[in-house]
Order: sequence, then structure tokens, then C-alpha cells
Amino acid sequence: MIKSAFGFLLLIFSTLLWADSPAVALADNPAQADSTATQPLVVVHTAVAVQSLTAAQLRSIYLKRQVIWPDGLPVQVFVLPLQSAVHKEFSQTRLKLFPYQLERNWQKLTFSGIGTPPTEVSSATDMLRLIQTTPGAIGYLPFDHETTDAKVIQIKP
Amino acid sequence: MQKLFKSSHNAAGALLVALGLCQATPVIASETWHWHGFVAQGLMRSADSNFVNNDGAISAELTEFGLNSTWKLSNTVRLAGQLMYLDGGNRFQQGGRIDYLFLNWTAINDMDWQLDLYAGRYKNNHWLYSATRDVAITRPLIVLPQSVYFDAFRDIAVGSDGLAVTSTHNLNFGELELNWSLGATPIPKEQSQRVISTFINGKTEQDFVHQFSVFLRPAQSKSQWGISLLDSDFNYRRVANDIFADGDFTVQRVMANWRYSEQDWELSSEVFQERVSVYGFYAPGTERTQFGWGAYLLGSYNLSAQSTLYLSHDHFFANKDDKRGYLLPQQSGGLIPAYFGYQRDTALGLSHNIQPNLRLKMEYHWNTGTGRLGPNVVPDTVVNRSRHHELWAVQLMYWF
Repeated sequence: MIKSAFGFLLLIFSTLLWADSPAVALADNPAQADSTATQPLVVVHTAVAVQSLTAAQLRSIYLKRQVIWPDGLPVQVFVLPLQSAVHKEFSQTRLKLFPYQLERNWQKLTFSGIGTPPTEVSSATDMLRLIQTTPGAIGYLPFDHETTDAKVIQIKP
Repeated sequence: MQKLFKSSHNAAGALLVALGLCQATPVIASETWHWHGFVAQGLMRSADSNFVNNDGAISAELTEFGLNSTWKLSNTVRLAGQLMYLDGGNRFQQGGRIDYLFLNWTAINDMDWQLDLYAGRYKNNHWLYSATRDVAITRPLIVLPQSVYFDAFRDIAVGSDGLAVTSTHNLNFGELELNWSLGATPIPKEQSQRVISTFINGKTEQDFVHQFSVFLRPAQSKSQWGISLLDSDFNYRRVANDIFADGDFTVQRVMANWRYSEQDWELSSEVFQERVSVYGFYAPGTERTQFGWGAYLLGSYNLSAQSTLYLSHDHFFANKDDKRGYLLPQQSGGLIPAYFGYQRDTALGLSHNIQPNLRLKMEYHWNTGTGRLGPNVVPDTVVNRSRHHELWAVQLMYWF
């Protein structure tokens, strides 16, 4: 019976490993191979001396592991309401994380004392205003939103 | 080294007082000072076991209250701590405790490498749910799988006094996280009675606990993989008229963990082998070593944006060479039944967010075997007379 149970677990792991492979993921979701033009824009304060980030670096910032920009300026992270469509799209397309994974990580940071959660803002307009006025700020906006007096940075795969 | 740990324990107390005084100041600078908390109250009943109480009655001993603060001293140094009150019946020692209180120095914060050092009472970051097992809202179940998250060991496993290091790397093949820690946890007499035996009168100390873990989140993957290692020594020193002898205990655990996430569902699992050696204690000069096995598979499914369903199966063998516990009655002269050698728990849970910061959880557990009911070394055979036992729990939790 124990051997059967371990065999069953092994079968589940093998199936998920196959389904988890990048080739299968792309085949299942051809939209991922399309242009990223409609993905939320990643926007920073104009004083941030960074022109681009890798997806992994952006994830480190939003997981609150990366808390200082290379020039020593503290990173100020802003997010839209967690139930908003833009936040969900940003989380999945830019960070490659489901929103509940992101939220779980922030709760872990908060309640285990190893960090602080990002600041939630109520709208894209507020997000832009805070990015414009907060040195070290990073946030995201809908792809067609204005970005006056803020800097849009490129996200590399 | 023990003196060092005792000193750090006293220092932790002093730091807490300072933290409390700072907490009382009326002005809270939001950029440098953060505080959060949670309160959870519930009802639970464990029938035919001593898990919550000895009479099987419905109990309100499911209270958890925590208040934690983080104070940013500079861009790279922080002080963080959590005060906790627990009432869990037989599960935990009732009362307040400091779950963590540490200084955190961010030594390296490169775009692709972060290195953090922690000194004081650090959190156990080595298992999937160890860092937040003390926080009701972050646990998938009110009662976590006991093979790994044995409640009688909660205060010893949740954190230790000493040093810890966490290093995270962004690499071409994914994200790699390394954790190392060395410390020890003070063990009050009541706590050791819950772990070892209600009959002990002597003093139990943890000499050290040394842990290392590595987690890998491969690029383009929905999985996370991890391995953790634990090595710990304890000692027991008898007092006059003690029925037990002086003893030393060694616990070594090797554990692998895995998590797979989809949009609406998730699976997680931890599998371990644990060596437990007892030198003396039962009688001078005796030695007993056994290897235990444990594993659980936990699934969650998001029924809606506010509701999540959980299903878990947990398996524990105290001795891998005696999975059905047949040796126990032979070794104990018939006093300990075979079903103390294992425990299987199947649990079904439901979580619903009533408000963004208010959650109701309920769950049911069906258990066979009593291998993960405390005390662990000399079990309670008076109350735990049934091979099968069940548990249900309902808990309302609020956080800010």
C-alpha cells in the first residue's frame, strides 16, 4: 500500500513536471509569444538611474527582496488594488506570478519581520502622481495611460 | 555556547522592552516604523484524543493574538519583533511569548544578489510554512500537517536565539535561495513536559539547532523545489527522586519540499526522514536510535475570489523499520499500543474572506494512529486509548 501511494505521488509529480516544461507552457498559451505591447507599463521616478530591468530583477523588487537601487536610493514599491484587472495582468505577465502568490509573499514578509509590504494606491492616476513625486518609486500603469514626468523602463525577458 | 545563547535570550528581553517603549510613543513615522497584528479566536473539538483537551469537550482554547513591529534604523539595518499570546489547550503552553526579535543587516543588495544577516531570535525560514506557522492567517489549515509541523514542538521550531543568513540569487536557470542558521531555544519545564513526558521533573535544554536549506524556483516554471537539513542536540538533567536518568537527545532531519502553482489551484508537499537518538534518560547507559518518516500532500482550490477549499493527507511513521508499531508493545511490556507508532491524517478545510481583513476558516481531520500526539517520548496512553480520533475546528481571524 505504501509503495502504491509513493507510486501515485511519483505519477503526479511526473505529469506536473511535463506540464510545467516551457515548451508545453508555450504551446498551451500561444498568446504569450505575441507582442508585449499591451502589457502594463513599468514606470519609475525620473531620478531612478535604471533604463531597463530583467523580469527576475523586477520580481525581486516586487517580492521586496531588492530594496535599494544601484545608486543607493531606497526602492519605494507601489501597487494598484489587488483585485484590479491591471494588477492581475501585471502580476501574471510581468512578474510571472499569480496574484495570490504575490500576496502570500507579502504576508510572509510582514508577519515574519523580514520586510514590509508595498504601498497600495487606489487608482492609476494616484499611482502616476506618487511615482512623479516619490524619489525611488516604482509602479505600473495600463499600457495606454499617460506617463508625463515619469520614466518608462524596459523589461527584458 | 550555551551561555552565549542565554545572554542573547536576556538581550532579546531588553530589546523587547525598548521596542515596547518605542511602540508607546505617539508619533509613528510611516517611512521607518511599521506595525501589524492579528487576532484569531475559534472553537475546536478533538474526540478520543488529548490533542486539545483530555475530556473531548468542545473547547474555545483556540486563541491567537500577535503584534509585530519593524523599525528601519537605516537603509540596511532594521529591528523587528513579534509579541504573541497563545491558548491552544494541550497543544501549546498558554500565555505570551516573543516569537522573534532580531536585528537584520542587509549586507548585499545587488540587483541580482541579496544577502541578509539576522542576529537575535530569528525565524525558522527553512520549511514551507515554518516562517509563518505562528500566524493564523498565513496557514493553509488551522492545524498544519503534524508529521512536519508537530504542535508540541511549535515553540522550539518556530525560531531560535542565534544567527541566521539568507541569500537570494537571480541566475540564468532561475531563482536560488540559501538559508543558514545556528542557535538554540530556551525550553521551559511545561514545554518539555508536552514534548517528552508529563512525568519529568528535571531540566531540559536545547544545546544547539543548526539548519541549512536551499530553494530553487526554475525560470519559466510554476514549481518550486527545496531541501532542508536540521541537526539539533538536547539534554535532560534529572533532579532528586526523578524516575528518569540524565539523558541526551539528538534529532537530525533531512527534508525535501515542493510546490506547484496554477491560477486556481496549488499543490504542496514535504517529505522527511528524521533520526532520533536517545542516550540515557530511560536508564543510565542505554542508547536507542530510530529513523522516522513523514510526508504530506496538500492541495488548495480557489472556489471564488474569496473562498478556498483545502484537502490534505499526512502520513507519519515514528520508526521506518516498524511502520505498524508492532515493536512498541513488546518493548514497553504491553504498556504502549502499536498505534502509537504511526499517524495518518486526512483533512478537509474551507476558508472564506468575509471582509478584506476578516476570514473564517473551518476544517475536519480524520486520524488513524496516535504517533503525533504529545508527549512524544513517553506517550499518554491513558487518554489516547483509541486508534482512530477526529478533530474539527472553526476559527475567525482579523488582521491589520
